[in-house]
Parts: sequence; C-alpha cells; structure tokens
Amino acid sequence: MNTDRQPLIQLEGIIKRYKNLTAVNGVNLAVYPGEKLVIIGPSGSGKSTLLRSMNFLEEIDAGVIRFEGREAGYVHRHGRLHLDRQQVVCPLRAEIGMVFQHFHLFPHMTVLGNVMEGPLTVQKKPVPEARAIAYDMLAKVGLSDKRDVFPATLSGGQKQRVAIARALAMRPKLMLFDEPTSALDPELVGEVFDTIHALADEGMTMIIVTHHMGFARELADRVIFMDGGVFVAEGTPQEIFDERMQNERIRTFLSRII
Amino acid sequence: MQKTFSRVATALLFLWMAAAVVFGAAADPDRLTRQANELMGQGDLAGAVEVLKQIPPPAGGGEGEAFVRSRLQIARLHFSLGEMDKALAAAREVLALYPDNSEAKNFVASVEQEGQPRYVTFLKDCIRFLPALAKGAVMTLLLVLCTIVISPIGGLLIALGRLSTFRPISAACWFVIWFFRGTPLLLQLFFIYYGLPSLGITLSPLTAAVIGLGVNYSAYLGEIIRGGIQSIEHGQMEAAKALGMTYGQAMRRVIIPQTYKRLMPPIGNEFIALIKDTALVSTIAMVELMRAADQLFNTYFNVTALVLAAIVYLVFTTVFTFIFEKIEYRAGIYEHR
Repeated sequence: MNTDRQPLIQLEGIIKRYKNLTAVNGVNLAVYPGEKLVIIGPSGSGKSTLLRSMNFLEEIDAGVIRFEGREAGYVHRHGRLHLDRQQVVCPLRAEIGMVFQHFHLFPHMTVLGNVMEGPLTVQKKPVPEARAIAYDMLAKVGLSDKRDVFPATLSGGQKQRVAIARALAMRPKLMLFDEPTSALDPELVGEVFDTIHALADEGMTMIIVTHHMGFARELADRVIFMDGGVFVAEGTPQEIFDERMQNERIRTFLSRII
Repeated sequence: MQKTFSRVATALLFLWMAAAVVFGAAADPDRLTRQANELMGQGDLAGAVEVLKQIPPPAGGGEGEAFVRSRLQIARLHFSLGEMDKALAAAREVLALYPDNSEAKNFVASVEQEGQPRYVTFLKDCIRFLPALAKGAVMTLLLVLCTIVISPIGGLLIALGRLSTFRPISAACWFVIWFFRGTPLLLQLFFIYYGLPSLGITLSPLTAAVIGLGVNYSAYLGEIIRGGIQSIEHGQMEAAKALGMTYGQAMRRVIIPQTYKRLMPPIGNEFIALIKDTALVSTIAMVELMRAADQLFNTYFNVTALVLAAIVYLVFTTVFTFIFEKIEYRAGIYEHR
C-alpha cells in the first residue's frame, strides 16, 4: 500500500524493555501522510508504550525511528541507544501532537493560555500571532466561549477538546491520541469523538490508541491489534472486526470490549 | 553615764576631725569609704551617710570619681531608709556637676517612678526604650528581607541541582543540604564570622549574618522546593515535553509555577522561624532587636525591654503570616471555581 510515497513516520524493529518485561518486542510500522491508524489491544499489550515512543517520551532499547524518511531522535553511544540531546528531540516533538488519556492541561493557565503556550514558548511566536492561532483552534474544537476560564472549571470532554486544540496549535504533521476517551464519562465521549472525526476529515495523519471500537470502525483506514508487545493482526476495520473469528485472541478481546 | 559617753564621743569626734584636718585625712576618700563600709556592716546606715558626706566635690573640676560614688551610695542608702527626697537630693548633687552621669539619671528616673501607677511606669519605659528597640527592629527586618530575597533563589538552585541527572552537581547539592541542615545555625554563624578570618576572609557582622542566614535557609528551602517540584504530577512534564518544550522551558513555564501554591505554607513556616532565628546573629556583634532588648535589660535591669521585643517579634510574625495567607490564596487562584 502507498509504496510510491514516503512514510511520515516509520518504525523498524522497535524494542522497549522495562526491568523484567518487554513491553514492545520488535515492531515494524509505517504510517503514511493522511492515514488514520487505530491500535487496539488489551491493557499491557504495549500499545501505549509504542505510541509514546513515537514521541520520544519513551526511550527505546533497540530499533530505528524515521520521521519523514530521516532517522530521528537517537544516537549510539557505548554500543547502546540513547535519546539525542534536547536540541534535536524537542523540534521533533514539536512536529508531533500528542493527546493524553488524562488531558494534562496546565491548570495554572487559562484555556487560552494553554493553547497559546506551544506557539509562544516553543515556536517563539509573538503574542498576537499565538493568540490568533489559539482563537482558531478553540473555534475548531467549539470552545471559543471558554477561552478565559481555568481548566478546573471544565468538564472532562471540554478538557480533552482543549488538549486537542493545544496540540493542534503547534500545526503538527502527526497527531498521536493515547486513549483519548478512556477517562471520560460515557456521555462525554461523543463530543471528543466528533472533534477527532472532524480533524480526520481535514486529512490529519493520526495514530489512535483506544479501547473505543467506534474509533476503529468509523475512522480507521487501518486497524492494528496488538498483544504481548507485537502486532497480532493488521488490516482494514472490516478485516479485523468482521473476520475476527479467525483469531482466538482477537475474538476474546473484542468479546470483552464490545 | 549616757551623757558622759556622748560628751566623750563628741570630744573624740572633734579631736579626730581636728586631727583629720591637720593630717589632711578628711580629704582621703578611700579611708572615708572604708569607714562608711564598716558602719554599714554594723547596720548604721545613717552614720555611714554622715561619713560619706565628708567626701568633698572635686576641686576645680578634677577627677570626681570618689565623689560620684559616695553621693550615689548616699542616694542608695537614703533610698533603702525610705527617705526619697534626700535620696534624690544626693543623686542630683552628682547631676549638678556631671549632668550626663547615666547612673544618677537612671536612679533619679527610677525613684521618681516609685509610687506612680504601674501602667504609667510601663508607658514611660516604653517611650524610653523605643528608639533603641526600633533601631534593632529595623536591623532585624533588614536581615529577614535579605534572607527572604536570597534563600528562595538559592533554594531553587539547590533543588534543581538535586534533581539534576549530572551526578557531581546533585552530589554537591546533597552535601550543602546535609551540612547546613545538620549543624546548628549558631555554629555556622560563628564559623563565618570568627572562623573565616583565619582563612583570610574577614566579613562585617552584617555580611556574615546575611551569608549565614541566606545559606542556611537556602538549604532548607532547597529541600522544600525539591519536594514541591516532585509533587507535581508527572503528566505535566510529559505534556510540556510533548509540545516540544526543553526541560528548562517546562520547568519555568509549567512545573515551577504550579509549585507556588503548594510551597507557600512550608515556606511561610520557614520564614516565621527565620524572623526568630535572626536573634542568633546577636552573638556575632550584630545589634538587632534581640541584642537591643538585651542591652536595655542589662542597663536598666528592666523587663519592659524584653516584653517590648516580644511584642515586636509577634507583630512581625503576625504580619508575615497574614501576607503569606494572601500570597497562598493568590497563587492558587486557578483552583478556585
């Protein structure tokens, strides 16, 4: 698929070990511009770790990460892989937006302040420009009226939409969503889902780790089922969901989720 | 019989006085003083007064030490006999010649206060002590403010140093905390003021005091600030990094601002302790509030000076408590719905 184009991000043989657990065990993955990839799998299957390693929040033990075709973020020292200096890593992260399960909004800044923070501090944009970007992004997630409040006053769904706006304000090439709806009350999932859906329709490249099967069915070009640190199955939503009886593990997992 | 005895005594006295005049012994203050002391030892206070009165004023404004001592002694003797007017007269004899004699002045002041209502005495003492105490209080305040400016900066550096992954820096900061929290502040002040000169570094008392307090409180605040930084949820650092921030940017923009509210109560505590700890610098020749009160106490043997000092300390700590409550509220304003 898409072999004529260069992958936006490409992982080769990614291995991440914790003390006595191999969370990610030799994963290969290529994500192309505009693609919407959903990773599903049981808890502890390594999907979050994999996602976080794409943003260099997890330091991998082996493997290569290529961003826009170039090897990115690591140096070899004493025969081991080390995360590169922050002068190298930070600009890479600035091109990749990340949305966390628990939002992690900056509680001491207003909603507007949260969204302006990236352009202002990281991209060193002047205040009027950063503010204009933030206004746009808050309008996009439908929270223009909440600009001047502090995050503590928002609902979970609103917080997550602000977090999405905050990431989008950096004009990222790739958006990573780490279980974006898992911490939300069921009635609030819809608004966040709609926001992500709208973003997908704009052509944003995104990788979503989720337990929410609606994402996979409605959004995904491709679904990966991960378990035990490896990809167990990979395919279109139809292939994964309709032919799930093919694989015992997928069947068990999906029967628990759905 | 009694008459005879008194006649004999009078005659002897005259004879003795005549002899004294002849031999110039009347002008020998030492002998008279000894004689008065003997009479006092026998309980004859009035007699002692009579003898002491023979010590003349210094001729031509010469050395009048003996005269002053004798008149003050007379004043005290009258005082203990309950003869206030005579006591005052004796003290004023001194003041007539030496208007600046502080002992006589104090004596007059304290005798005049006898019989006044206690609160009047207290208020008069307050007015008397206030200038000296105010000077001391200003010095105490200066020390406190200097330390309040220095120690959070030092504390932040120590905290960041402790959190550094570069071992030599974190070890050095650990050592600073270990040493300055593990030894008495008094000892540190002594070392800086009395010990450093032997290494060729001589500091003024004020400099030594500010350095001692500043370093000591930096060490304490360092641990408090480190705790504050580590108490911020890990996700905040991750979110900041995910935006592309460097460690420094994340600290400055995201992590440290969130510690303010949490740090205010423990830091307020430290600064209250600091206000009282400044009293320790009185030991290295600094005249601050405690030293000023102590000096007044020793001069006048008057507890009012200490009471006043206690009140000033309480005013300081109360005002600081109040200010810190306000700052804490403002620092956490984003948490109030």
